[in-house]
Amino acid sequence: MPQQADLLPGTLDLVVLKAISLGAVHGYGVLLRIERISKGAILVQQGALYPALYRLEHQGLIESEWGISENNRRARYYRLTALGQRRFGEERASWSRLAQAMTLALTATPREA
Amino acid sequence: MSMLPNWPLLAGLVARVRSLGRSVLHGDVVDAEMDEEFRLHVELRSDDLRRRGLTKEDADRRARLEFGHMDTHRADARVARGLTLFDEARFSWIDVKLGVRMLRKHPVLSLAAVFALAVGIPIGLAPGHAARALEAPLPGDTEHRVRAIRLWDPVTSSVTASTLADFERWSRELGSFSRIAAISTSTYNVATDDGRSAPVAGAEVSTSTFAIVRSTPKFGRAFIDADGDRGAPSVAVIGHDLWTARFGADPDVIGRAVRVGRRMFTVVGVMPEGFRFPASEQLWLPLPRVVAEGIAAQRSVRIVGRLADGVSPEQAQAELDATARLDRPELPAARARLLPEVVPFGLQFLGLPRGGLDALPEFRFVQALALALLVVACGNVAMLVYARTATRAREMAMRTALGASRSRIVTQVFVETIVLAMVAAASGVLAIDWLLGHVNLAAIAGESTLPYWLSLGVTKRTMLQAVVLAVLSATVAGVAPAIRITGRWVQQTLRGPTRMRFGGWTSALVVADIAVAVAVVGLALAMSKHANVLMASDRATGIAAAEVLAVEFRMPEADRFAASPSGDADRAANTQRALVAALEQEPGVRSVAIAEALPRMEHRMRPIDVEGVDLPPDTPPRWVRSVRVDVGYLAGLGQRVLTGRDFTSADVDSTRAVVIVNSAFAGRMLNGGDPIGRRVRFPTSAVSKEAGWHEIVGVVGHLGVNMMNPEHGEAVYLPAAAGEIPTMQVAIRAAGNPESLTSRIREIAAAVDPELIVGRSVVLSDVRQGDWYLTISIAGGLALLVVILVVLATTGLYAMLSLSVSERTREIGIRSALGGGRRTLVLTILRRSLLQIGVGALIGLPVAFRFVNELAEDGEGHTTTLGAGLLAMGVAAGIVIVVGLFACLVPARRVLAIEATQAMKGEG
Repeated sequence: MPQQADLLPGTLDLVVLKAISLGAVHGYGVLLRIERISKGAILVQQGALYPALYRLEHQGLIESEWGISENNRRARYYRLTALGQRRFGEERASWSRLAQAMTLALTATPREA
Repeated sequence: MSMLPNWPLLAGLVARVRSLGRSVLHGDVVDAEMDEEFRLHVELRSDDLRRRGLTKEDADRRARLEFGHMDTHRADARVARGLTLFDEARFSWIDVKLGVRMLRKHPVLSLAAVFALAVGIPIGLAPGHAARALEAPLPGDTEHRVRAIRLWDPVTSSVTASTLADFERWSRELGSFSRIAAISTSTYNVATDDGRSAPVAGAEVSTSTFAIVRSTPKFGRAFIDADGDRGAPSVAVIGHDLWTARFGADPDVIGRAVRVGRRMFTVVGVMPEGFRFPASEQLWLPLPRVVAEGIAAQRSVRIVGRLADGVSPEQAQAELDATARLDRPELPAARARLLPEVVPFGLQFLGLPRGGLDALPEFRFVQALALALLVVACGNVAMLVYARTATRAREMAMRTALGASRSRIVTQVFVETIVLAMVAAASGVLAIDWLLGHVNLAAIAGESTLPYWLSLGVTKRTMLQAVVLAVLSATVAGVAPAIRITGRWVQQTLRGPTRMRFGGWTSALVVADIAVAVAVVGLALAMSKHANVLMASDRATGIAAAEVLAVEFRMPEADRFAASPSGDADRAANTQRALVAALEQEPGVRSVAIAEALPRMEHRMRPIDVEGVDLPPDTPPRWVRSVRVDVGYLAGLGQRVLTGRDFTSADVDSTRAVVIVNSAFAGRMLNGGDPIGRRVRFPTSAVSKEAGWHEIVGVVGHLGVNMMNPEHGEAVYLPAAAGEIPTMQVAIRAAGNPESLTSRIREIAAAVDPELIVGRSVVLSDVRQGDWYLTISIAGGLALLVVILVVLATTGLYAMLSLSVSERTREIGIRSALGGGRRTLVLTILRRSLLQIGVGALIGLPVAFRFVNELAEDGEGHTTTLGAGLLAMGVAAGIVIVVGLFACLVPARRVLAIEATQAMKGEG
């Protein structure tokens, strides 16, 4: 398992959007999916997950509907809205630019300075 | 490119509103779903842990521990859903108690604010309330299916009487109405078997009328179709008031005889109390159900109908429009332009346009004034609440320091203002309700009673609107100042003593108050100018109106009471001659004059041609007032011709048609020259005798034709033979008090002809033309508005100045200690107020100028009283400035009373 990383402020929403963009999923599933796609590197605090989900829903980035879970219980499944897809694309591009810039900055050698 | 600009922003906004709405409106469901989601999460986590080898108990415990406290998550979720504001702004009864306490703590300020809203809210609601009352369904017509069908003349913007011929045509052609009925109101001499005879307002109605208005008798029966057949027994239905007054509330009244005119009728029904259809009638006779022909078909009637099931008023109107578009050669040209309309009964009755009161520019003007008053009232309350809140600066600051959020404090101020606004709205509405119950509105309107269907009482809807207005007022007056006061200024207060300054918007309110007051004072003065013109015009008629009793006499309807038209005409002539002779012999009667309309009354208008005055093509014809008069009319009124001669008996019989015109006609219609010998004709007259040329033989004064504007009251007098005027207005000049003749005149009339109907009897000086009432009403209303606005402006100024002084106590103390003179101190305090008064007056003056200018304009755009208007505005500005200065006086006196040492101890 890779070493776990702390989420930077503001990045939880991006990670949740990514998890949901992979297919409709309920709240606990979001948690598992993030753990899986980050290969265990990102562990979301369970208490922080639901406020994030409700915040994204309030902003119209995701929407929800009730379905049946794997243990045959009623579960609320979340999916991305058109607005969410657009926002996710923008945020991801922005993050990539930042990450690239940070990598470049942090890997610079004395000769490049 | 998307058609929607910045759609993500819009989509996000919509999503937030939807989410917030669901959370607020369905909070229980949202919370329950959230709990279910949390429980599922814990269960799934527990299942995972059990798959990793934990026991069920251990897995459950660990899952719960990992998840954390659910209440915390719920609170976080509410924050995420944007509900924090609502949570913090939650309503509390303590706020209401505080609101009541604030009312008691600042009684003068509270009284001023309550007064402002108690006046502003009812006045703001009154125009809409009146408009709705006039369009309300008739009592008993719960589904509002009764409508009037009428003819609207687009040229004169007035209702033209429908005829029996119209009624019969619409009865045949219209499928949108299940039934329609014709109504012809009149005053009947009703004699009961106790020998008493008195006039009673009644109506001949189609037998279907009672079914249309859904009213059934208290006793007996309503009319049946057979009652309208020719030769059917004469039956009558009487009203509750007539039943109690004339039949002693006899329960066996059915079958009793009643004499109406000379004919006997059998009472077959008594209508329930309060039923006075179509307005204030108490006797109903069946209208014959026969096809009217000839002159009988031209009898004026009102027409009502009940919409057929499933048919809307709009569909009925469409059908009526379709019939109107048909080519109708049988209609005379003057009637072809008339537009048939389906309207609520009240609009037909009062002759209002189809759009109701809202369609009248005058009404919109009144609405605008009422709204302006409400806005000014709200503004003033805002200022007063602001002043009141400002006195609690420290309390607010301390509460903020102790953790109260801004929204919590704003909510508290809002609730306090709501309490104030609700008290005001309740006081205002209750006061109006009391007034409506204790003031004789009919007398104000110049009528004996109001129509039975007109209910001006406060309705549930009006009360609801008052509550909504109170909430809106509280929002404007409470929230806005509270937001301002809890902003940056709270932090300043926390840091130390500070002075709260009134911002630009409060100054703007004072300026607006003054501006509106100046404008309204200007308007009121302009109206009083008109009232003066009216008084002058009254004197100029040269008729001692206070000495003249005006009595209406009507000949009985020809088709119902006479054997033949010629016999009827002879009888009418004889009756008129006998009446005049009997009246002239009566002690105390100086002279008698008969006409269709007397001075000060409304006169009929019609188009006229003047020989030698050619109008350009496509010019609408010129209209004048015309009135048929008895030959001795002028002498009877004590008038003389200015030039030419009076009518003689020969003029009635002569083939040479003659007229007398008044001085306004001679001055404006003849393009100069000697009027005597010139000729006029009435091109649209249905009476062939009047359609030809008439020679002008004399000129009289304006004779009260147009009391508002005598110079524009062009009138033509035509001589009428005895009996030619079916509804006579008889002027009886009395030697003493004319009212003392009233009962004697009824006796004389009954002796001359028992069928002769004696209508309204009134001293001529109490007769008002319609515009006169409008002028007086508007002037009275405006006078009230002026008082209210001036009081509002004064209280607003007072509040501002009072606060300004109290908050500058320390500064004043220092200035005083440093040797500042009293005059300088007062000027310092008053400088801003004087500036506001000045700016307000400057803004108000042009508005006042506009009012005055429009009112002073005559019909042709000439301003005749500009000088008077300017004077009125000057006076208006003067009054407001004096009142404003007076409002400054009390705070200024307080400034002078402050001792320097005392002021230095203060905090301000």
